[in-house]
Amino acid sequence: MGTRLIMYLAVIMLGALVGARASLGDQLKKRLGSIQTACLLLLLGVMGVKIGMDQGVIDSFLQIGYRAVVMSIFTISFSILGVLLVKRFVTGGSAK
Amino acid sequence: MTLRILLAVAVGALMGMFILPQGALAYTDLVIDIGLMLLLFFVGIDIGLNRSVFGRIKAIGFRILFIPLAIIIGSIAGSAVAGIVLGMPFNEAGAIGAGLGWYTLSSILVANYSSQLSAMAFIANVTRELIAFIIIPTVAKKLGFLEAIAPAGATAMDTGLPIVSRSTDPETAIIAFISGVICTSAVPVLVPLILNL
Repeated sequence: MGTRLIMYLAVIMLGALVGARASLGDQLKKRLGSIQTACLLLLLGVMGVKIGMDQGVIDSFLQIGYRAVVMSIFTISFSILGVLLVKRFVTGGSAK
Repeated sequence: MTLRILLAVAVGALMGMFILPQGALAYTDLVIDIGLMLLLFFVGIDIGLNRSVFGRIKAIGFRILFIPLAIIIGSIAGSAVAGIVLGMPFNEAGAIGAGLGWYTLSSILVANYSSQLSAMAFIANVTRELIAFIIIPTVAKKLGFLEAIAPAGATAMDTGLPIVSRSTDPETAIIAFISGVICTSAVPVLVPLILNL
């Protein structure tokens, strides 16, 4: 995890440096969002491929899928609720 | 965005199941790593273009830590309630929730306890990640930017970060990364701890 964390941080910082210092053309700035969305959808597609090709995951999902979905819905809902409760304290009421 | 995310994952999964040769599986991790690095680079550019975020993050200070703390407590509490619904003991259900979406590690951590629970931890956390990808844009729009970090859990520092970044703003992206790092660090401690209760 340590190496990966450093790698992620380094890549984000490199991007931040490029964003802050390089004079990105207006055209590129406008297109940045679309490029990100395209890359993101491609990444999610490949993650889907990985899941679809793993027979073990598909078999397990067919067997215990509904229990996993119930578990996920509760964990996600309660974690959102947790953030809702602390949000005002974190931002002093100025958050979007 | 939500529909496009759902479609991307579904089309990918169907291609993986019915079209692509099994040999392609060996390359998926590499492609995901490259894609993720590229997306994190873009997240960085967004942050660099909005330098004022650093001042705002500094102003929030240590209070940022309440976000991952709320996510961790919420996830464990949610899984405990789900455990009641599904008839599972608290320690088993809580350990799954404490996986925070990190499916590979959480399934390994519970493997010695029970192989069935290991499969459940894996699938429940894979499902959490998939549901997170799908609902983050909607949560950001309807509930708020900080709330959009919560579904991602531990993945807010990697695979979930580009979606949070696209759905919110650079300030929230930085908070999401910090939250993801803390959640990720907590998983190896919390899962065995709760399992042994």
